[in-house]
Amino acid sequence: MSVNTRTLLILIVVGFGMLGLGMSSAKIYNTFCKITGYGGTTQQAEENLSEVIDRKVTVKFDSNVADNMPWVFKPQQKEMEVQLGQSGLAYYTVKNESDHPIIGVANFNVTPIKAGPFFVKTDCFCFTEQRVEPGEELPLPVLFFVDAQMDDDKRMDEVKEITLSYTFFESDSNAQIATETSGSNAEKTLN
Amino acid sequence: MVAISGNDTGSYGDDKPSFFARWFYSTNHKDIGTLYLIFGIISGLIGGFLSFMMRMELGEPGIQFFTNEHQYLVFVSMHGLIMIFFMVMPALIGGFGNWFVPIMIGAPDMAFPRMNNLSFWLLPTALICLLVSFVLPGSASGDGFGGGWVMYPPLSTSGSPGPAFDFIIIGLLAAGFSSIFGAINFITTILNMRAPGMTMHKMPLFAWSVLVTAFLLLLALPVLAAALFMLFTDRIDGGTGFFDPARGGDPQMFQHLFWFFGHPEVYIMILPAFGIISHIVSTFSKKPIFGYLGMAYAMVAIGVVGFVVWAHHMYTIGMDVNLKAYFLAATLVIAVPTGVKIFSWLATMWGGSIRYTIPMQWALAFIFLFVIGGVTGVVLANAGVDTALHDTYYVVAHFHYVLSMGAVFGIFAGFYYWFGKMFGIMYNKFLAAAHFWLFFIGVNVIFFPQHFLGMNGMPRRYVDYPADFELWNHVSTMGAMITLLGVVFFFLMLIEAFIVRRKVGDNYWGEGATTLEWTLSSPPPYHQFNTLPRIDEDPTEHDADKMH
Repeated sequence: MSVNTRTLLILIVVGFGMLGLGMSSAKIYNTFCKITGYGGTTQQAEENLSEVIDRKVTVKFDSNVADNMPWVFKPQQKEMEVQLGQSGLAYYTVKNESDHPIIGVANFNVTPIKAGPFFVKTDCFCFTEQRVEPGEELPLPVLFFVDAQMDDDKRMDEVKEITLSYTFFESDSNAQIATETSGSNAEKTLN
Repeated sequence: MVAISGNDTGSYGDDKPSFFARWFYSTNHKDIGTLYLIFGIISGLIGGFLSFMMRMELGEPGIQFFTNEHQYLVFVSMHGLIMIFFMVMPALIGGFGNWFVPIMIGAPDMAFPRMNNLSFWLLPTALICLLVSFVLPGSASGDGFGGGWVMYPPLSTSGSPGPAFDFIIIGLLAAGFSSIFGAINFITTILNMRAPGMTMHKMPLFAWSVLVTAFLLLLALPVLAAALFMLFTDRIDGGTGFFDPARGGDPQMFQHLFWFFGHPEVYIMILPAFGIISHIVSTFSKKPIFGYLGMAYAMVAIGVVGFVVWAHHMYTIGMDVNLKAYFLAATLVIAVPTGVKIFSWLATMWGGSIRYTIPMQWALAFIFLFVIGGVTGVVLANAGVDTALHDTYYVVAHFHYVLSMGAVFGIFAGFYYWFGKMFGIMYNKFLAAAHFWLFFIGVNVIFFPQHFLGMNGMPRRYVDYPADFELWNHVSTMGAMITLLGVVFFFLMLIEAFIVRRKVGDNYWGEGATTLEWTLSSPPPYHQFNTLPRIDEDPTEHDADKMH
């Protein structure tokens, strides 16, 4: 193999390597967001193992619905005060105001975004898709805690409020509803 | 800079193929370089026409020339894409790179001449795809794609359902692969095909600049290709949802991918110009370049740091303050190697015997104007300031000072410097001077007032504006007319030179021009260096000699 051919092959591998990195950026980006809490990405845990300490934060609740989605989506409480490490249970309500069943899926984050790594959900309606029948009103629970480790992070010293925000979008699964003959359970696990 | 032994008379093998075979099947690096330059001039005319129409429209408030906002935005988007991918890159890298990198390092041709041919011919194909998109349905408001050269989703996905943007994706992929192939070719040529004695640390700075640029291309363009592929599949009904939040995607991810490519891209456009300016400043000061190694490694440093500053283009997306602090600091760091280059050029001229020839005028104007663009860049690097100035005309003024005065002045400087070498004839000095002065005054009158507009809060990418902004917009449009006149003189210069055909000698710049291309005839023989030149002297010793 000539020197030029060898250089050529190495450079082609480098080029394809960058292309591969680019194509897998969705996976890399997701993993990165989950690990670092980038963009206010919250954490997820099976159960609350955090110790409970005296410091308190106020958790505020925010709700949004994508354009043209005929749902009314509201938090049942505006805010809630929790101790660090203490589990909190909050409810949202969603109502389908259209005349057909709609499956929705919720995106979420917290503000300030640096609180992402410490805000942990143990159970959430956002983990799965939600199917709401015409005119139906559903309570949607979220079980969360703010990890007590937040107290050790100097950057978090001034944080007294964390806003948890959800936005509902129509799910791709809606296409299946049209072809369904009976109202089977369309709940599908995300993640 | 180097002493060269060996004798290249150029009398051998100078048979050229017939017209069609020579220009369409071309594998000769000089012919391909010429093709790239012609292509760059044509694209520059198209892109320049688009921007001239924009300036005419913005001469006064209200909508005069365009049918609606969308059509204006199509012009804005296409102006950006065409000038970047089809004018600056082909001219600097494909044109001068192909012409002079092999000669400067003492190689007979590029490493892969047929791949070189492929690189070139992908470009006209790509440009046709982009031009076709003008007349294809874009969004509900009209034909063509109006989402800016940055192509952010959702405007480029659900916002532009028509086939216009698909053609742009295909065109950009073709242009991207053309550049990747070109980059592979340059790296292989420079690493493996240097003449005996031409070590990396004796290599002329233009070859260094193209080497760094080629690495940036190789690392950055595949990421753009990936982002474009993902946009393409996102646009298909029932396709992927990489950038669609409703399907678990994130539109911000596109911005990260785009700017991971986009920031190195701005150095891809300016580094070859840096290389050209170094040669010109050295030639017309009759001194070797000051701090040769510092100049070479400053470009390497700019290239490396250029990959870790991309998010300064996206301070307003809702970024954590610590992340902003990082990108701010990293961005400011780039001012250091850039400063090394500026001061080395000044130090090269210091005490030199300076000749204000046409290429030297372009080079001096480059240094002056690039510093202005660089300083506004330092202003914009500050996340707090950028929050106020983001997407205003201040940003437009900034990047046109570094591109339409930086990169473009570098192109013209190189063009006048090597014009006699490439075509064997000399330009008319009066026409060339008229071109320079009209262009210099014109672009400054266009873009300097845009700083004021931006500071006063005029946002970019709007067809209309409140009457308060009229004065400086009017001045800016006057500048566009002066620039147009300058362009007319450029073509008059070309026509006159090719009609009169004043022959030039091998080294028409004399003593200061020391690189290998000046040892060959003008124009160089069809195939050069059948006997490879030998390079013996150490340029750093040479530096030391001069100082005593």
